[in-house]
Amino acid sequence: MNGKIEIIIRPLAFILLATILCGIIFEIAGFSAILMFNSILDGAFLGSRSLEKSLRWALPLFITAVGVGISFRCGFFNIGAQGQFYMGSVCAVYVTEYMSGANAVIVIPLGMIAGMTGGALWSLWPGYLKLRYGVDEVITTLMSNFIAGLILVYVTSGPLKDQSGSGQQASTKILPSEFRISDASGVSLTIILITISVGITGWLIINRTSFGTLSSLAGRNPTMLKYQGGKIWQLGLVSFIISGMLAGLSGSIELFGPSGRVVSGFLPTHGFTAILVALVASYAVIGTAFSALFFGGLFSAALFLPIFTGLPTSAIDLFNAIIALLITARITLGKKFLRNRWSHSHD
Amino acid sequence: MIEFHEFLVAILRSGTPLIYAALAGVIVHRSGVWHLGLEGIMIIGACVTIIGIVLTNSFIVAILSAIIICIIVSILQWFVIEKLKANQIIVGLGITGIGIGGTAFAVESIFGSLAAISAPFGIPRVGDTFGPYSGLSILVFIMPFAVLSLWVLLLRSRFGLRLAAAGEHPFAARSVGANPSIMRLIAFCVGGLFCALAGAELAAGSLQIFAQNMVAGRGFMGFAAVIFGGGHPVGSAFAAMFFSIVSVVGIRMQIHLGNFVSHDLLLCLPYIVTVLGIWIAARAKGRTNSASQPSELRDQ
Repeated sequence: MNGKIEIIIRPLAFILLATILCGIIFEIAGFSAILMFNSILDGAFLGSRSLEKSLRWALPLFITAVGVGISFRCGFFNIGAQGQFYMGSVCAVYVTEYMSGANAVIVIPLGMIAGMTGGALWSLWPGYLKLRYGVDEVITTLMSNFIAGLILVYVTSGPLKDQSGSGQQASTKILPSEFRISDASGVSLTIILITISVGITGWLIINRTSFGTLSSLAGRNPTMLKYQGGKIWQLGLVSFIISGMLAGLSGSIELFGPSGRVVSGFLPTHGFTAILVALVASYAVIGTAFSALFFGGLFSAALFLPIFTGLPTSAIDLFNAIIALLITARITLGKKFLRNRWSHSHD
Repeated sequence: MIEFHEFLVAILRSGTPLIYAALAGVIVHRSGVWHLGLEGIMIIGACVTIIGIVLTNSFIVAILSAIIICIIVSILQWFVIEKLKANQIIVGLGITGIGIGGTAFAVESIFGSLAAISAPFGIPRVGDTFGPYSGLSILVFIMPFAVLSLWVLLLRSRFGLRLAAAGEHPFAARSVGANPSIMRLIAFCVGGLFCALAGAELAAGSLQIFAQNMVAGRGFMGFAAVIFGGGHPVGSAFAAMFFSIVSVVGIRMQIHLGNFVSHDLLLCLPYIVTVLGIWIAARAKGRTNSASQPSELRDQ
């Protein structure tokens, strides 16, 4: 029981700490921190229709974060969620382009499958390099993000460019309304159902399959895994594929849902925020739902920050980064103090 | 021949920030930590240099404040990794986020908009005596000496040996009276200095401009150069130079092949070569993956 309470209290404490640190920074920069946090709370959760707006950002974050959690749980720092998200949307947009005459009932599922495949393939090559050759996945997935970003720029400004656009932002054509699964609000029954089924599947995979048990063992103690007879390359490859698939799915939902098109460089912080969501939730699915709602709310509030408080949107990026800086810290003040005293006598 | 000089100037311009970043990565790498915060600290260095020049009109003040702030952020990173025992990869990403978000925040709260800031002047140039290279900043010419002095410091000095011991076998370092934790602190401080120079060169070396997110992965590429170069200062500097040659060749190819291949895809070249470089390093060494914690924790 104690551990369970700690899992809930720890992230809350870090978020509080980050809030205080950010508040100090904002006050130094000459903004009113109280006003700012008030308006964030209002914009994210308390204001009218604000919960719906938060959900619009929370749903894709949740899907990506479940995947990130599965690969982190297995001990692989697959930080390429951003690139997999982009590749998912790019693959899905190609399906809609080549099947524009077909029925929506065929095109939308096919587009999502294409998106999942694209994301999975984009996560597969760093995974393969890692498991076959020992190439560190942190650098390869980081580089894969940059490459995917450039591929997205290429697709949206080259082959699939919307010629009628104003030229301000390169993007593909807006999908016809029968290909959309939600309006611009981004919250519809279909998307919620997909998200819930992803959540349930993720929970089952983690808690009710041998893959889930062995992969969390792999993350915590690879030596133990070896003696348990688990195959790290199998587990690793599957976890890379699942995390890429989910990021790609979330990219294709972004296309069929709220955006309706693929814009060059859209949602540039999605991957990083999804990693944060997973870390704050300690990779548990139910926790991920809450932390996705929290970060989705922050994001939706950030869009209105400049209007109400004059505070730039980047304030939220700073806040998120401070949480990232602290979230993996092992601060247990009482124990640390004790341990230090003990270890000194052993030194 | 003139074309060759132009080519070399372009390589030196794009390569110097990368090499400074790689040097910062090397010294921290040898102390046993993976420095993934290079990107963030570099962009802070770039931002502070340009804002400093704009606000104080003095290059010396600007570069000194950039160095001081970069060292402070490096110490913060050291503190969270070493004292709070946080995961160094996530902390590195967090520092990167703080760099990107924090500079955007600073620019917006000082100047009121996110538009690129341009400074009236940049790092002093070497002057006409150098012929075709007169447009290069002095930091480009300091760079070989920086590589050399880091080589002496890391491989030919008592400090360097102790630092390597702190990274590879902290127990051995402790047995000769060196505190691995303090060694890492020093490494992070020197790293902060080099990151500040990298950022300053990137922003004020030729363009004299600071734009949002202008580092664009160069910090991570510098880090990849560290791995490619096997953590050796000279090797990593050559690796960084190689990455910048590839990116310059990519830009040249845009001019000649622009009609056949999209230039966005040619821009991918340095990233692809980075992946290949890491792959080669992994083949040569067996593996390049990190322990997720400083080796301090492994030997207990």
